[in-house]
This record gives sequence, C-alpha cells and structure tokens, in this order.
Amino acid sequence: MKIRTMKLLVKEGTNNVIKNKLMSFASIMTVVATLFFLGIILLIAINITSNIEAMKRDLEVTVFLNVNVTNYQRAEVLSYIESKKEAGIISEYRIETKEEMYQNIKESLNDDTLLEGFSVENTAESFYIKLVDPNSSDEIISQISRFEGVNNNNGIGYGKDELDKLEGILKIFNYIIMAILIVLMIISVFLISNTIRLTVFARRHQIEIMKYVGALDSFIRWPFIVEGLLIGFMGAVLSFFLTSQAYQWLQGVINVILTNLKLSTLRIMEFSPVAIRMFIIYSIFGMVIGGIGSLLSVRKHLNV
Amino acid sequence: MIRFVDATKVYSNGVVGLKNLTLRIEKGEFVFIIGPSGSGKSTFLKLIMHEEVPTEGEVYVNGYSVHDMPHSEIPYLRRSLGVVFQDFRLLPNKTAYENVAFAMQIVEATSREIRRQVPLALGLVGLSKKAKAYPDQLSGGEQQRVVLARALVNNPAVLIADEPTGNLDPKTSIEIMNLLEEINQRGTTVVVATHEKSIVDAMKKRVVTLEHGEIKSDVKKGSYFDEN
Repeated sequence: MKIRTMKLLVKEGTNNVIKNKLMSFASIMTVVATLFFLGIILLIAINITSNIEAMKRDLEVTVFLNVNVTNYQRAEVLSYIESKKEAGIISEYRIETKEEMYQNIKESLNDDTLLEGFSVENTAESFYIKLVDPNSSDEIISQISRFEGVNNNNGIGYGKDELDKLEGILKIFNYIIMAILIVLMIISVFLISNTIRLTVFARRHQIEIMKYVGALDSFIRWPFIVEGLLIGFMGAVLSFFLTSQAYQWLQGVINVILTNLKLSTLRIMEFSPVAIRMFIIYSIFGMVIGGIGSLLSVRKHLNV
Repeated sequence: MIRFVDATKVYSNGVVGLKNLTLRIEKGEFVFIIGPSGSGKSTFLKLIMHEEVPTEGEVYVNGYSVHDMPHSEIPYLRRSLGVVFQDFRLLPNKTAYENVAFAMQIVEATSREIRRQVPLALGLVGLSKKAKAYPDQLSGGEQQRVVLARALVNNPAVLIADEPTGNLDPKTSIEIMNLLEEINQRGTTVVVATHEKSIVDAMKKRVVTLEHGEIKSDVKKGSYFDEN
C-alpha cells in the first residue's frame, strides 16, 4: 500500500471517530471499563505473587538438636549445613544457643513461676536455615533428619507446604478470573463492533461506490480498522490513567492497614515499576479489542 | 470485449435472470439492452460487473473470466469498467470535484495525476464551472454528468449505464445520451440498459432486446419496436 493511501485511510478512520462522537464515546467507555477491570485483577495477581515469593524467601528451615546431643553429633549437622552453604543451596543460617532459647521462652511466657524446674539444660540448640531456592526444602529436610543429633520429634519446621496450598488455591482463582476476563472482552468486542457497524451502515453508500469503482477490500476495510484501533487506544490511555490513580490511592490505604495489623511483611507494590508494562498491556488489549470489533462489523459488507 | 457464452443465472429464490444467453459485444461498440422489467437487463449488467456470477455458462469481460475468478481480482475487473446508475450514487458530503477525485484515490493515483485528470473529466461532461458544488446544489442532469465524469476518469475500456436517464427529463436525457455517444466515439465501449424508447429510436445504435432472460432480437441500427 502506498503512503499517500495510508494517510488517506488513517484520515478517514479518524474522521469516523470524530463524526460519531456519541457512539465513539460509548465504545471508549466500554474499553475503559474492561481494561480497568483487567488491570485491577492483574495488579492483584502481581501483588499476591510477589508477596508469596517474598514470604518464601523469608522462610527458614528450623532444625532442633536433641537436648543431650554429643559434640560429635552437633559437629556432623553443622558440617552438613556448611557444605550445603558452600554448594550454594543454603543462603545463610544462624544458630540459636541453649541460653538464647531459654531467654526467648522466658520472655514469651512472661511469668517466672511457669519456669519452675525448667533450666537452660532442658533446652536444645537449634539452627535456622535459609534456602536459596525454597523448592529444595523437601530434600534438605529429609537429609538433615537422618542425623542422630537432630530431634525429629519436635520436628523440622518449614512453612512451605502451607504456602504451596495457598498458591494452589490462588491458581484456581486465577483461572476463574481469566474466564471472567475473556467473557468481558467478548462483550466489549461486540459493543465496539456495534458502534462501528453504525458507521459502516452510515457509509454503506460510500462502500458500495468504492466497490463499483474497484477499491480493494483492504482499502474499504482500513478506515474502519483505524477507527477501531483508535477507539481501543483512547480507551486504553484513559483506563490506564484511571487505574494508576485508583491503584496509588489504594496502595497507600492498604499499606497503612497492613502496618496497623502488624503485617508489615506484606506490602502492596509501588505502581511505577510496573507502569510501562501495564501501559503496553493496556494498549495491546485495547487495540486488539477495537481491531477485532471493527473487522467483525465490516466483514459482512465486503462480500459483494 | 464482452462475451456471454450460454450464460444462465438462476437466483437462489428460483427466479430465472438469464437463460442460455450467448452474446458478443466488440471493442468500441455502442449497445442498448432493452426489454420490460424482469426481462434480464439488470442481471445482464450485474454479471458484467461481477455483482452476480452465472449459475452456468461463461462470461468474459475485458479479458477476465467473470464466471470463474478469484475474489481478489474483482476490484481490477471493476477498474476496467465505468459504471453509471439511475440514482447517481454520488457522495453527498463531497463536492463534484472530490467525488471524481475519490474514484482516482481509490485506485491509488498520484495527486499530480488527480489534479490533471479530474478537470479533464469534468470538462468533458461540461461541468468545469460546477466543480466546487455539492451534489444537492446540482440538478439531476448535472449530477448524472458528475457520475459520468467519475466513471470515465480512470479511462475504463467499457462504460456501463443502468437506466442513466431514468430520473431525468427528456431534454436532459438527450444531452446525457449525446455525451455517451461522444464518449463512445473516443473509443470507449458503451453498454446502456434502458426502457426509454424515444432515446433508443433516436440513437440508431445496436439494440439487443431481452425477454424472460433470453435474446428476443439483436439488431444493428435498430429501434425499440424492431421486433414487431
């Protein structure tokens, strides 16, 4: 296609949007609503995933030694942990001595009478291990539990299973949301195709003339596609603006609530790091919705 | 130029448009297609323009096999034809000049070609002075002249006119017909479907009479009632 023809077709499409103000506005608003919903869901998903990842990184494998562990048994466990650290499987670990544990228990009970008959000698030393990859926990736990000095009754603690379950539920939740989104997109495609059908109808005369003079299908189709793309893009820009405003407001509110609930490990992410990605997603989705909508409405009129 | 070989058109509702029609129109001819409503005039023109395709038989127009051509070639067939309608079909929001220029934009002519060709075409139909008028500011005859200019501006080999004088008074009709004759003398093949006998009688051209989708008569320098 020649450049002057492209100019002409883009101009025609833009004129369609301007001439058809009310319907264009209605279509842009459907795109805004669809993308706003899409964006909020995406942002929720991004936040949940990043929080779960952060929680996983903070997870520690807790290994309790037996109360009467021998020095040899203790050294065995320690050298195992050291070797795994060198192999890059364990990122860091810390040791809680008997005294520290006694103090911790004392503090948490806050009542010395309950500690009668309970001394530092009754407590056990423990290791807190952080893993590079949380998914390697099963292997580490099974290996470490084989050491004689490790107290298997008190168990080796790790919260990964709970997080995995949570993730599983969230996955199902994601599928449901995706289904809703697809339905929403289909609805907006039809709304846009109806809008453009009106312009097509208003210009059926012109389309007919164009065909008799020998216009290529693409020549007839492009102004309407331009119209659809433009509606989609304008909806995307508007929706992006609304989403970013709403998100930034919500982010502040929710972060305050989380801090007050002492859940400060959970954070709502900043908008700016994802802004460009969100804008690209919005533009692509908006223009795809608009483009498909317009293709649907012109198709019928080309078969002469 | 235009050749129908045993062409039959039966519409999906069972109506027979054309029945085993065989006809040849040579380059540079001027042919009237006449007959009462339902005789097959419109079907004949529709087949030439590939608005319809024959159910059976063959139709050749300007080297295209209309009965068997890919969808993508239809625009090129139509570019080799100029079409004039009874109801003009001008774009109301464009001036006479723009309406003619539009036909050139569609075939991706350069703006230089457009600036040169459009005034020529408007001059040929005698409308140079009304180039800036919108269709609703023009009389019926003037509008039909714009349509003629639009049909001719891309230099088609064949001009097809479907009842071109149907909405015009007798005097204007004769003017349009004279214009068609002039166009024909410049080398364009002209095919006119009409049922206005005075015009046909006056022009003394080849007359093909259709009835019930068949050729009833085909007379060189004929008149409307030659069959009687």
